[in-house]
Parts: sequence; C-alpha cells; structure tokens
Amino acid sequence: MSARLELEGVSHRYSRDEWALSELSLAVEPGELVAFLGPSGCGKTTALKILSGLLTPTGGDVRVDGRSVLGVPPERREAAMVFQKPLLFPHMSVEANVGFGLKMRGVPRGESGGKVETALRRVRMDGYADRKPGELSGGQQQRVALARALVTEPGLLLLDEPLSSLDANLREGMRELVKEVQESGGYTTVFVTHDQEEAVVLADRIALLFDGRLRMYDRPQAFYERPASREVAEFFGTANFLPGRARNGTVETRLGDLRLSTPTPPGEVTLTIRPEAVRFEEGENSFAARITSTTYLGTQVTCGLDAAGVQLKASLPPHTQLREGDRVTARLPAESLWALEDGPEGQPG
Amino acid sequence: MSDRVKIALLLTPALLVLGVLFSGGVLAALLQSLGYFPAIGMTEFSLDAYREVLGSRDFLDSLGLTVYIAGASTAISTVLAVAAALALRRSSGRVSAVVFQLPITIPHLVAAVGVALVVSQTGLGARLAAALGLVGEPSEFPALLYDPYSVGIILTYVWKEVPFIALIVLAALRGVSEELEEVAGTLGANAWQRFWYVTLPLISPGVVAGSLIVFAFTFGAFEIPFLLGQTYPNILPVMAYNEYRDIDLAARPAAMAINVVIAVMTALFAALYLRLSRRLRRG
Repeated sequence: MSARLELEGVSHRYSRDEWALSELSLAVEPGELVAFLGPSGCGKTTALKILSGLLTPTGGDVRVDGRSVLGVPPERREAAMVFQKPLLFPHMSVEANVGFGLKMRGVPRGESGGKVETALRRVRMDGYADRKPGELSGGQQQRVALARALVTEPGLLLLDEPLSSLDANLREGMRELVKEVQESGGYTTVFVTHDQEEAVVLADRIALLFDGRLRMYDRPQAFYERPASREVAEFFGTANFLPGRARNGTVETRLGDLRLSTPTPPGEVTLTIRPEAVRFEEGENSFAARITSTTYLGTQVTCGLDAAGVQLKASLPPHTQLREGDRVTARLPAESLWALEDGPEGQPG
Repeated sequence: MSDRVKIALLLTPALLVLGVLFSGGVLAALLQSLGYFPAIGMTEFSLDAYREVLGSRDFLDSLGLTVYIAGASTAISTVLAVAAALALRRSSGRVSAVVFQLPITIPHLVAAVGVALVVSQTGLGARLAAALGLVGEPSEFPALLYDPYSVGIILTYVWKEVPFIALIVLAALRGVSEELEEVAGTLGANAWQRFWYVTLPLISPGVVAGSLIVFAFTFGAFEIPFLLGQTYPNILPVMAYNEYRDIDLAARPAAMAINVVIAVMTALFAALYLRLSRRLRRG
C-alpha cells in the first residue's frame, strides 16, 4: 500500500528569475515519515504541491514506486493531502466529509460507512459524525481533516503544516496523533514544517531546505551531531563556531589543540559544538573562560563565555549558581565537537 | 432624536410613494378582480372573473406558454451564467468583465429590437447565413421571431439575464476558497465532481437567488413577448394587457384576475424551487 517516493532534480520557478525550488533530489522509503523543514519561502510547500499534483514542476521528475507521476492529475495520484487549514467542506456533515474520498471512488455506501467510522475512531472523533464543521473547534476540525485524508488508505500522505493553525496545547496532542496514525497505518508521509522541534519529534528523516535548495537530508540527530554546514548548524540553534586547522588528529585553535573523536582530514576547518554540550569541568579539551552574560529561559540558563577572545555559548540547568564575571574552567568534550569543512568562510565575523 | 426615528423620517417620502402607489395599485387590482369596480357600477364581490379566466381554453394555452418561456429562459440563463462565472473567476481582466456585464445596462425593449435585427428573416443573421451559403435565400432562414417555440423571446432573455445571474454567482464564488477544490482534488474528485459536490452546493444560494429573480421577472414581464411573440397564444401578462385594453370595461375584472393569478403562480413556483434546491444542497 505505502509507496516509495523519489524526486529527481525537481525544479520549479514561478517567474523567470524566481526559483522556488532548484534541483531537489531525494528518496522517501515506504512507510517513512520525512519532514521538509525550512524557513518560510524556502520552497517546501511548493515541493508538497508538486508531490500532490496541484503544481507541475518546471523541471525534474517525481516517481512513485518507480513510475513517473508527472502529468497525473491530483485526483488520480492516490496522494492525500492535509492542508494548513482544516478546509472541511462546510456544507457537509463530518461523516460526509470523511466519506468524500470514498464517494468519489464510487465505493458503495454500505462499505464506506464502516471505513468512515474506523477513520473517525482513529482520530478520536467518533460520536461527531452528524456534526457540521462549523460546530467543531479548530483542533477537532483538523482531526477530521486527517481522518478524511486517511480513509482512502493513500499510498502517500502529504501534510502541509497541519499543526501550525492550532494552539500550543493542542499542537502536542495532534502531533502525537499524527505520529501514531502514521506508524500504525504505515503511510509514506511527507510533512512540511518551519518548526524544527516538530520535525525532530515527528520525522524519521529531515530534508532541510533553504532558498529552494536541499541543504541536508538525514536523521534528526545528525542535524545536531554532524551538521552539513554552518547554515544548518545555525538553523538548529548551534551558536558556537571556532576556526582552526586540523593536523595529526587534533585541531589547532585559539583555545589550544582540541581533540575530536571523529577523524578530521587536514586543512582549514570550523569546529562546532552545541551549547548544551559545553561542560564546566577540568579534563580533555578544557580551558579557562569568563562568564560574560547569563539569560534565564525557564527550563535552562544560557551563558555567554569569553575564552582568549573567543565567544562561546553554553546552556546550563536553570538552578545554576554562575554569575556574570565568574571565572570558570570550560571543556569541549571530544565526542561533541564536529568539524565543518567549509573552511575560511565559516570564520566568525 | 434617536437614529431609528431619523431613519424612519428620512424614509417617509419614499415609503409614502411606494405605499400609496404600489400597495394602492395592488389593492385596487385585487378588488377589481373580485368584481368590486364602483366606477362602472359593480359593487358586488364575486369570483366570476376567476371562474371565467381559469375555465377558458385561452388561459390554459397562455399559462403553458408562460411557464415554458420563463422556465426555459431561466434554465438556459442559469446554466450559461454559472459557466460564465466560473470562466471569469480567475480572469483578472477588467475589460472582459465590463464587456460581459454590458447587457445589464441595456433596457429590455432595446434588447428586443436588437435581437429582432439579428435573428429576423430579413435580419443580419439571415443575410449572413445566406452569404455563407448555409441557406439559399435569407427568407429560408428559420423563423425565430413570432414562432411557436418563442426562440426570439428566449434568446433575448438569455442575452439579458446571463450577466445578471453571473454577477450574483461571481459574488458567491468569491466566498468559496479555491483550496476547497484543491482538497477535493487530492481526495480523488475529478473536475466535474469538484464542481458538482463542492463548488455548486457552496454557490447554490447565489444561483438560486439569481435564477429565482429571473424566473419571477420572465413570468410576469410583458414587453418582450408583446414585441417578439406570436399572436396566439401569448403569455399571461400579454393576455392581461389585452383584456385591460378592451373597450368594454366589464373585461377589467378578468384582466386583474389574470394578474393576481400570475402573482400567485410566481410565488408557488418560487416556493417549490426553494424547497427543491434545499433538498439538493443537503445531498
């Protein structure tokens, strides 16, 4: 049932010099949940519309189970889409909304009734079959929209920021529901979001897009542990960049020679480390530093550090006793350091 | 002075004219249809006029023709108007919209004369058809005026009313998000299904309102069938007019009875149509 999806060199432009998407190539395995992540205007929604068939790309190919689907209209793609807004048909009951896809396929009423009921139960909206969309809350409407997409057992499930219109407290519940439904149904799913946390929690793999280009396609952990570029690291909240020169297994920096647990080819590199990986202790890769600022963020405290003129950021538990001006010993654990190979351009301003 | 009183005072002149002339006229018509016409000495209320009108063969022929013309004009106009509105929906061109809506500004009388010029057997259409060799002589062009099928009348109405209904439907379409149709597409609905199950039900209030106004108008309108219609039978309003014009003032109650019947029939058809459309909308 679930399909394998391949994009090959998919490009789209709305006008002569406005590229929405350029040369996007990636594969989504059957049953996998992939998040298209990026800031607004990065081309992720364009990509989703191309997958649904609502938009024909100006270049490249989209294949489902090895067959090109370019030129196949949306209604024959077996790709159900849930949009940002619930977009329920306002003149139909919840039941008729969910049954819509079955009705369009000519499924007899007796058979579709049971499927509609099952779909509503899966999104925990059984008991609302006779309501009109106008009588439901935003979160309930979005759940019905999900049931409506699932009822036809689509080979491909496309979700366009379906959580962004919900309140924060509803979002988490809906997120869990999406994950649960996707896993139990085994749908190949592409999920568009601008929220990296959402992508990390939900996705098997994340495709990070900037300016219509794919910057990194990997498992969520990889975006934290071994980002492909400084841009990627910054998008995921890493603020620490340290220029250096790799040689004989260590990297020479202004903080001294630092050892990395991953081998680094010799040459100019930029080291990154996540703020939460910075330790305040003696040991390997340690150095003297001064606290330049502390910001209380509720669940954590962010500190600014100055060491030999290098500015670093560190996250600490909220009950930390460190104050601005304190002198400390900081350590960058070898297993948390990652070398970006973008050399001199990666140097901090 | 409260706003409500102010508004009432401001509306008084208009309401007076409407109240006295319109309601007065309707009341006088109703009374005359019931045989109360003191000017010629009729002061006894009776249903004689109704009995005479409803029992006559002329009336039934005329009623049939009226229903046919109003029904056909409304149905054709509505279908074309919805198609036109869908086509115009995405066009941003002001010019096409203005040209399209031009017929609304042209009086029905002028429209009738225009249609006559084009479709009569001596008109532009006939001569063009002859020139193109479609017919041998212009006079062989099919008779579309004063004909039993009332083609000329229906054509005039369609030309006039399509833009009118389309205008209302366009406004209704603006309230329908195209995303709803996209969703329907991703759920497996083809173009026709998207229209039939999503777009049409959502614009149906506009379609019903527009076509209802056109039906009521064409059912009761007089001038175009009077100009372009055959001599017998002609539609109810023309029949009423002929009775009204009769030198014998005693025919007046019959004329008024026909008018009352027209009003009642229009209301009945409207009620039936509203019921039907509501049922269709519910699917």
